Amino acid sequence: MKKVLLTTLTLFALTAQANSLDSSHNWNDGSSNAFKFAIKAAETGYKANLAVDMAWRDTGKMIKKAKKLHKAGKNAAAIALANKAHRQTVNATAQTALARTVRPRL
Amino acid sequence: MKKLITTVASLGLLVGVASADVASDQKDFINHYKSILPNVEFADYTNGVYAVDQGSRDQFEEILDGIPPYEGAVEKGAKEYLKFGLNKCTSLKDPAEARVKHPYFDEATQQVVTLESAIKKCYQQQTGKKLGYKKGRIARISAWISDQAAGQKINVKVESAGAKAAYEKGKTFFYAKRGQLNMSCADCHVYNAGKKVRADILSPALGHTTHVPMYRAKWASIGTLHRRYGGCMKNMRSKPLKAQTEALRNLEFFHQAMSNGLEITADRYRK
Repeated sequence: MKKVLLTTLTLFALTAQANSLDSSHNWNDGSSNAFKFAIKAAETGYKANLAVDMAWRDTGKMIKKAKKLHKAGKNAAAIALANKAHRQTVNATAQTALARTVRPRL
Repeated sequence: MKKLITTVASLGLLVGVASADVASDQKDFINHYKSILPNVEFADYTNGVYAVDQGSRDQFEEILDGIPPYEGAVEKGAKEYLKFGLNKCTSLKDPAEARVKHPYFDEATQQVVTLESAIKKCYQQQTGKKLGYKKGRIARISAWISDQAAGQKINVKVESAGAKAAYEKGKTFFYAKRGQLNMSCADCHVYNAGKKVRADILSPALGHTTHVPMYRAKWASIGTLHRRYGGCMKNMRSKPLKAQTEALRNLEFFHQAMSNGLEITADRYRK
């Protein structure tokens, strides 16, 4: 009886924990949700970079290509590319911060 | 009365500070080039990279000795200027004056007005049609207008607080690193001017705006300064801004101001 009770409780605890996770959680397993998470991050960053005229040349193309790959069912490649695009937007954001205080070195 | 004196004094101070900043910025700019390119005379900066490298200069002079490849386009620009009634617009009525006056800061709109933006506005008023900003008709007309001012000196005025703000934005743009290569305009054309990037020699920013719009062998046509800005940004793997956006007009305002005192030239051939 004690064994059954312990197993039930453990199973219940595990299920509850899994359900409490956000649906956009990045499991990095090549699933559709992981792609959505990655592409959303890239798109948000790119939009912010565009707004301050500091976007990088290839970020938009990467986002488009990642979406195409996802559509074609190549999830792992799509996620990798979306993450690469996101990293570009992070770097562009850091560049923007530095650009505000730049002075000539003459 | 006291208020009036204070206001006038403050305004005077503002104007003074604004002008002084441009003058001191340009002084630092010129001194920098004197230190890295000691053999180049100030007036020779109108020739860009040809002032730096004798081999390139020989080629340049050979091209000018013959029939420069842009001559036909500039002549066409003259005809287009009249054909589309651009001489009827106040801003372009005197072409030489128009070239020297632009870019300027328009107090009414609080924006920098460039020669190409004035040409486009006038063209639309006269014909009701659209006009691009980078190449073709606008570049030809702008080149012909610039030719009329050849020999006159660039004289960008940065006087009001608004003008000063636009100038500062342009200056920040010029010195800010951008794109995947993390490079600024200044990285190539100020700090490393005269050095080589693969087979090309980096031109000094001083004098860049004396020969615009330029004919580039790479383009095999005449293009505006903003077309070149776009190309530079693309090379740095930064998303190019559209020609004549506020940021690029401010950049042109700063860029031209740094060449104050240099002669406008009709020798617009570049590699």
